[in-house]
Amino acid sequence: MKTLNLRLAAAALTLAAVAAAGQAQSQPTGEQLYNDNCAACHQQAGQGIPGAFPALAGDKVALGDPKVVTFVVLTGRGGMPAFKDSLNDADLAMIITYVRSAWGNKAKPITAADFASARTGPPPSTKLQAH
Amino acid sequence: MDRYGLSRRTLLERLSLVGGVGLMMAGMEAFGYGIASASTAPPLLPGSAKGKKLIILGAGVAGLATAIEAMKAGYEVQIVEARSFAGGRAQTARKGFSLTELGGETQTCDFDEGGYINHGPWRIPYHHRSTLHYAKTLGVPLEIFVNDNDASYLFFESGKGPLKAKAVRKGQIAADARGHAAEMLAKVAKKGGLDDMVTAADRDQLVAYLITEGYLSPKDLAYTGTDGRGFEVDPGAGMVPGPGKPSTPFSMTDVLSSGAWRVLASVANYEQQRTMFQPSGGMDQIAKAMEKKVQPAIRYSTVVEKVAQNAAGVEVFVVDGAGKTSSIKGDYVVCTIPLSVLRSIDMQVSPRFKQAISAPAYAPVGKIGLQMKRRFWEEDDHIYGGHIYTDNPDILTVSFPSWGWMGNKGVLLGYYQFGANAAKISAKSPADRAAFAVAFGQKVMPQYAENYEKSFSVAWHRVQYNLGGWVDWNDETRKTEYPVLCEPDGRIYLAGEHVSYITGWQAGAIESAWQQLEKLHKRVQAA
Repeated sequence: MKTLNLRLAAAALTLAAVAAAGQAQSQPTGEQLYNDNCAACHQQAGQGIPGAFPALAGDKVALGDPKVVTFVVLTGRGGMPAFKDSLNDADLAMIITYVRSAWGNKAKPITAADFASARTGPPPSTKLQAH
Repeated sequence: MDRYGLSRRTLLERLSLVGGVGLMMAGMEAFGYGIASASTAPPLLPGSAKGKKLIILGAGVAGLATAIEAMKAGYEVQIVEARSFAGGRAQTARKGFSLTELGGETQTCDFDEGGYINHGPWRIPYHHRSTLHYAKTLGVPLEIFVNDNDASYLFFESGKGPLKAKAVRKGQIAADARGHAAEMLAKVAKKGGLDDMVTAADRDQLVAYLITEGYLSPKDLAYTGTDGRGFEVDPGAGMVPGPGKPSTPFSMTDVLSSGAWRVLASVANYEQQRTMFQPSGGMDQIAKAMEKKVQPAIRYSTVVEKVAQNAAGVEVFVVDGAGKTSSIKGDYVVCTIPLSVLRSIDMQVSPRFKQAISAPAYAPVGKIGLQMKRRFWEEDDHIYGGHIYTDNPDILTVSFPSWGWMGNKGVLLGYYQFGANAAKISAKSPADRAAFAVAFGQKVMPQYAENYEKSFSVAWHRVQYNLGGWVDWNDETRKTEYPVLCEPDGRIYLAGEHVSYITGWQAGAIESAWQQLEKLHKRVQAA
């Protein structure tokens, strides 16, 4: 089993290679990352569960202002956790770009740079404690 | 020296000498909010209920506590509960317990008779006297929950050195980290290196303390290990094993680079007391005992769709298990529905109140129970309760049962993760979650996989009527939104762990219920 940290390190290492040689074989796709990290609630087809988890297919927020999207994903909202500590900018960009182009969605990609610049602003969220 | 000079000097000396304690005191003061306001018994509700009817939304621990005390005071009470059973998150999965997460498959617990996992609350700090109040007054048998065990393992994967990704007993890391640190500090102090911070008399006492703290040799202040970290060969009878063979401490470098020292602290965190309790047979026993007191007043399998109010009273619109809608009229509502769920319910409250309901985040939380064929942790590793801590954020804690000691089978807690990690693991099927948990355990204890039999897992953010483990107020929402929800909106009062500073604990649910009911009762008296 790979740890998250190992995977992140591996992802960072392959970035340079990706730039030169295109998509590396070991790099998970935006769809895979979405299924791993988001689909438990928003569901694989982005349809959500009414009354519990918002649909991302056709969702105004998900398809809207990149500043809002990056803020929500990094800091969390409602039942959604903050992803700033568990996913790096490149992975977040792949996930959101996938969300904004899947299931009939059509919105501009969001880049790793968008996430990087969004990270400088928001206040720190509380650390979750065991009970 | 004048009086002020002396007191100033004394103060400075004390501050510098006991900086750690000073910091602790400051921390205690911050916590003091909770300590000072903690309720240990239900409120006295003198006077009359004046024939008023209370509609309580939710038969979790907060709703049950409200109902018990309100009925005692003479209120007419109607409790509306979405599930077919009471207790809210205070659930225990044992044979036959069934749970279907939103978007997930149905799991029906199939543990052997007597086996269980508390997939909701599972431990009660000794100072949660409100929770203990109901256990005691309702005659719920309690047993000790082992929340700290020096014999249990630490397993840190992201560090460096020979202890990286190695199961090491917590007591060994504690003895060595503190032993080596005490040695260094004691030697510096002895040489006069701290003389600008301590008086000569205090320096000797400091060194004496460090000798005790770190099991140092009084002769040369060296730490060379101590029996408390265990032996290589245990002492016993006769000549062999006779005195046994002492163990050799890990080097400071190895301990530091492993990262495992992160679990160490001078004293247990306020909520993570070493002495904790659990009800015998499962955490749901307290809620079940509370339920018994008020059962006739509970309408089960009844979901709240709308809460309306006007100057004359309240009306709650519900739909029952058969899909039939109806409404219940009363004088006041005490609503204990989690805010994560309440935000989608039609509530006739002010826009400001509505905004506050929608404000806070809820914690995604995952837990899994793993039934094991035999208690290898007890039989082979001599671990009786307590936790394996790891820096793997998808696992965080593996816990050994504090029940059924010396029995045959047992149920482990295989992981207890939060936030984004819980969201990630919850995307797996129940079988894959179990496989993931077992694969981790196998790295720590080689007997793990061969003894695994079956599992029961929960992802609280995917549980209908909860949508999260507990409220996750941040500094900002705590300041701006939380106070709004502590006061009623018209005839509607909120109660639950989310209306407390003891969030995520049953004590928070109970104490907020007590506080809100007392407030409501005073209003009824004044009317």
